[in-house]
Amino acid sequence: MSTPARRRLMRDFKRLQEDPPTGVSGAPTDNNIMIWNAVIFGPHDTPFEDGTFKLTIEFTEEYPNKPPTVRFVSKMFHPNVYADGGICLDILQNRWSPTYDVSAILTSIQSLLSDPNPNSPANAMAAQLYKENRREYEKRVKACVEQSFID
Amino acid sequence: MDQNSEVNQDELIIKQQKEIEKEISEQFALISEQLPVDSLNNEYVDDPVYKQKVEDISKKYRFIRKVRPDGNCFYRGFGFTILEYLIKNKDEFTKFREIVEDSKAKLLQLNFPQFTIDDFYDTIMEVINRVEPKDDNQEIVLEELYKLFNEQAYSDYVVVYLRLITSGKLQEDADFYSNFIEGNYTSLSDFCKKEVEPMYKESDHIHIIAICAALGCAVRVEYMDRGSHTEVIAHDFPESTNNPPIFLLYRPNHYDILYK
Repeated sequence: MSTPARRRLMRDFKRLQEDPPTGVSGAPTDNNIMIWNAVIFGPHDTPFEDGTFKLTIEFTEEYPNKPPTVRFVSKMFHPNVYADGGICLDILQNRWSPTYDVSAILTSIQSLLSDPNPNSPANAMAAQLYKENRREYEKRVKACVEQSFID
Repeated sequence: MDQNSEVNQDELIIKQQKEIEKEISEQFALISEQLPVDSLNNEYVDDPVYKQKVEDISKKYRFIRKVRPDGNCFYRGFGFTILEYLIKNKDEFTKFREIVEDSKAKLLQLNFPQFTIDDFYDTIMEVINRVEPKDDNQEIVLEELYKLFNEQAYSDYVVVYLRLITSGKLQEDADFYSNFIEGNYTSLSDFCKKEVEPMYKESDHIHIIAICAALGCAVRVEYMDRGSHTEVIAHDFPESTNNPPIFLLYRPNHYDILYK
């Protein structure tokens, strides 16, 4: 059945294939266009460099009026990522606009890796280390990067 | 540090919001039929302050059309009633359609992404074209308008596009509008990202001024609240207008449509 959400997701997918932003990729799962798998490559010159971080994106029929639920499947150590992989990012919550598409979502998460916001922490430990002990923070992030090769 | 910060609060909040929204959508149509305006009394059985105001409003208006209270009520109500007016005043229809047609180029100039605004633009244009008044089709297209505005897919995309037009106007005339922005916003564009473009966000004076300016429309809003005056207070947008042709009723956090 074609609905506005499904039609829009087909277009999002087409655009992501034709004009992929650097360092991210994503595609619907085989049986369900409402659930996508995505990968974000750790941005250069950040402790996340070389990591390949997997995510799932779950849409509802209200997309794009409402944002999807995005979650890291790979283990993450980041001030704005919850233990369950959930992401604390304004455009996925109170600044969501129906003009964003999957491409915009993934690139925003990619820049969140480069620029964490330690003032609204989803992971208190990561936020504290990011502010107070950057070496230890980077060490913990690098452990996730290595873990991401195995996953 | 906040101990709860590691529980994913966002998802709990979203879940609760969903339940509330479901309840509201079961209770209210997106746009209701026309009802006698004194039916408002049913909502204020034991409320002398509001009853007095319903009495006042019943002297000035005959009918009300309820809009679903989902935060989009201003845009939905405004969009519906302006098109309803244009169907009945078809010499103004073409001009309005041209303004909406031209709005897309303006949004692109302001760096709204073409890829995503196309859908919303195409939908609002489809709605406008499907309700175009001809010599003898008024009743048919009024029925069509009512049907389209009660179909979530059409209705919501029209709301999205009206929000984008509003955001575009605010940003286009940022020098003027930024004087009226209060609160914790880093810029007018930040305000638009938080308070205009997201669905379900309510509208205030500044949104109404901007959308009227963008679309060349005028609207009278009747304000009905718990204040001590016995009458509802009319406010015309833009202020200089003489007798705007469309009417909305505002009660705290909600807009409905009124008819003389």
